[in-house]
Amino acid sequence: MKRFFILFIFLALCNRSAKAISAHPMPIPEDPSTEPQIELNGAGIATMDVGRASSPGSSAKNIGIINDDDSSLSASASQRLYDGGIGSFTIGTLTVDQAAAGTGSPLFLNQAVLDYQEKSYEIWLGLTDNPAAHLVDFPTLRADDLVTFTSPLNPYSNGQNTEDHLYSKVAAITFNQNLTYYENFHVQQLIDTVDAGSDPGVTSAGFNFEYRGPPGYEHLQFVRSAGFGYEHVNAAPSYGGINQVYAGGVINLKPSVTNLVDLRAQGITMFGSKLNQFSSVTDSFQADYNAMALSLRYLHSPFGKPASQIALTLAAQNYIKVSNANSYAIALTGVKRLGQGVDLIGQLLGQWRSAALEAVQSPGVGFEQIFQVGLDFNFDTIFNQHIGPRRTYLNYQHQYIPE
Amino acid sequence: MAEIEKKNPSSRRDFLTAGGTALGAGLLFGRTSDALAKRKQLKRGEEIPPWVKFSPNATNPPYPPRQMPKPGEKIHEFDIDVSIQIHEIVPGIKIHGFLYNKTLPGPEIRVPEGEWVKVNFTNRTAEFHTIHWHGIQLANEMDGVPLGTQWPVGRNQTFTYLFRAQPAGTHFYHCHNMTPLHVQAGMFGALIIEEKNNFLKDVFYYERDYTLVLSEIDTNMVEVQMNEMMKSMAAMEKMAESSTMMREMNGRMMGWFRDKRAFLSAIASGYIPPYMPAMTGPAPTANFNFFMINGKSYPMTEEVRIKSGESIRVRLINAGAMPHYMHLHGHDFWHVCEDGAILQSPIKRNTIPVFPGSTADIIIHGTNPGHWHFHDHSDISTTNNGVFPGGMMTMLMYEDAEKLGVNVPDIIAVNS
Repeated sequence: MKRFFILFIFLALCNRSAKAISAHPMPIPEDPSTEPQIELNGAGIATMDVGRASSPGSSAKNIGIINDDDSSLSASASQRLYDGGIGSFTIGTLTVDQAAAGTGSPLFLNQAVLDYQEKSYEIWLGLTDNPAAHLVDFPTLRADDLVTFTSPLNPYSNGQNTEDHLYSKVAAITFNQNLTYYENFHVQQLIDTVDAGSDPGVTSAGFNFEYRGPPGYEHLQFVRSAGFGYEHVNAAPSYGGINQVYAGGVINLKPSVTNLVDLRAQGITMFGSKLNQFSSVTDSFQADYNAMALSLRYLHSPFGKPASQIALTLAAQNYIKVSNANSYAIALTGVKRLGQGVDLIGQLLGQWRSAALEAVQSPGVGFEQIFQVGLDFNFDTIFNQHIGPRRTYLNYQHQYIPE
Repeated sequence: MAEIEKKNPSSRRDFLTAGGTALGAGLLFGRTSDALAKRKQLKRGEEIPPWVKFSPNATNPPYPPRQMPKPGEKIHEFDIDVSIQIHEIVPGIKIHGFLYNKTLPGPEIRVPEGEWVKVNFTNRTAEFHTIHWHGIQLANEMDGVPLGTQWPVGRNQTFTYLFRAQPAGTHFYHCHNMTPLHVQAGMFGALIIEEKNNFLKDVFYYERDYTLVLSEIDTNMVEVQMNEMMKSMAAMEKMAESSTMMREMNGRMMGWFRDKRAFLSAIASGYIPPYMPAMTGPAPTANFNFFMINGKSYPMTEEVRIKSGESIRVRLINAGAMPHYMHLHGHDFWHVCEDGAILQSPIKRNTIPVFPGSTADIIIHGTNPGHWHFHDHSDISTTNNGVFPGGMMTMLMYEDAEKLGVNVPDIIAVNS
């Protein structure tokens, strides 16, 4: 009897444990025998940074730090659907500077998104890339190195975390014609770190159009990609919100498989704000401004395999209604490939701010200068592969499968 | 002048249709219904007639391979191209493939022994291709091995193959460039050289003659590798348009070297061969998920048809990379040929191994009416994407089964 009682208690505990870790049941129980395709993406980056810099709320300092910001890991599960479409779920995180994270956590959840796609359209819903912020990806070491120049700014950011400008909760649909012309319509719930306790709901809506050159010809034809977009942000509703217009693209100045020279360019204009002075760093994300970024890159690929890259990025920003608020930046970035996905990296980064902008974005440092050297590691691994990528040479040049 | 007869090579479907027409005309029924009775019946104690005499010279080509056509000799001319097409293996499973004349397998070429075959092969893809004539004793330059016996055939180029049809028997052809990918992607077809003296027909009195080409595919691997390959070739083509880029594109970029010394020299100067772990990671191996007979998996495979009393010849060609063990229910059959050659002594069996690159001919007697499974007994090959039944399975179907009182339900099973 005692043994039976012990067994009963054990089974009851096991049952409780199992329930404690089980996920919320789906409306229709899933078929456990159908394994999804699993994709793991990772990007590790670590640099030794030396120079002089400052950040909102801190004072000027000479820095000498080991910087592991922007290392990321994401996992996706995908299923081929009964109608031939693809359903997927992605969850991902990246490292941020612990002091800047606000939450005290060095990890920032940047992906928790569900996606449904067919040949001619794609719908996604959840936390993911801000659709207005990734028209052109610039070849700096980290995506946020020159974020105030390269992304439409998030008026709800408190300036502690640059990821506020790059990620958001999104509901979007993108239509495409022949996997070449893409029209995206979306609403966003921007990350609100100004008033972190509140839920602002849907904060912006917008659309963008993008042309992407044919797969396989990325390095070979003159225009690789080009696009433009508009975003209306519901910040400062007393004067009708803020508007953001952006346009940019990538062209191959010297198309080549082995010695590529390309140029990235993007312009952003923000208007509709009545701010004419900065009282906080957030104001610098709400005031009207123009920004421009240009990047010239040389990619050397002996025998067709990328081996080294050097890029010079120049950027400028001008606030329209705030006086003495300009900024210029330069980044010289070098990458030497050591093996598949593993690179030796280095970057010289400089950003000059005039007084009004310096006061809120980099107190005490009018000209930030940082030299970085380190390593990165990128990988993309697929398990249970049974879903090919959608935008492929064969799907583009020949009949799309599944039709 | 040699006599040239230009033909469109027939697809297997054409062949079956032709057979069906002949059946419809009643030409075959009369002859085959009593075929068994007409076969030579041995009396007790009577010696078996001589089959095939052994000769150590039997591997020699019947005709010198480097001969050219002489006046009066017949040349059968075929046009074959390769293009990227969609092929459906079973409903819902479509692949991009490299297809000869838009069919998978490619068209069956059937020519009489000793006559000439001329094939104008045109490549309509950006990838390089050839045709290798597997089992044929021909001039070295016609063997279809890229960078071995010929330059690979580029986009919109035509290469003409010319060879004498020898030796007789069941053979096949396939692309020999990037063979593991291109053959999986569909570049193979049957090449039947009909014997001058059809000894087997005299003995077994068969009329219908079926060709079953066995193959398998890893659909994911083919899709991924074809995409990568076509992207690379698109880059190469673009580079070829510019003299500057042409200079950049040296042999090493293609992985082509003049000789071993050049290869070693490239390695010494920093070239990393594509098979090195630094370039490939773990060895990528095929994980075959569809197994086909004539390009289709069960239940879309075509049945092999027979009548009671009839004998049929079935030519099995393994164009794939896995051995297959074709087992026929309810019958023994005669294994009469291997790699096109008549065996010294036929073997009675019910399961026949067909190894990659091999062909085997069997004679089935219609002695047991019904609908009988005929399938690879390596059962992993009787699945579609891991689900049984499927794959390399067909039926031996007696056309007169019902008339003879065999109650056979006409059911297609695809599991649940």
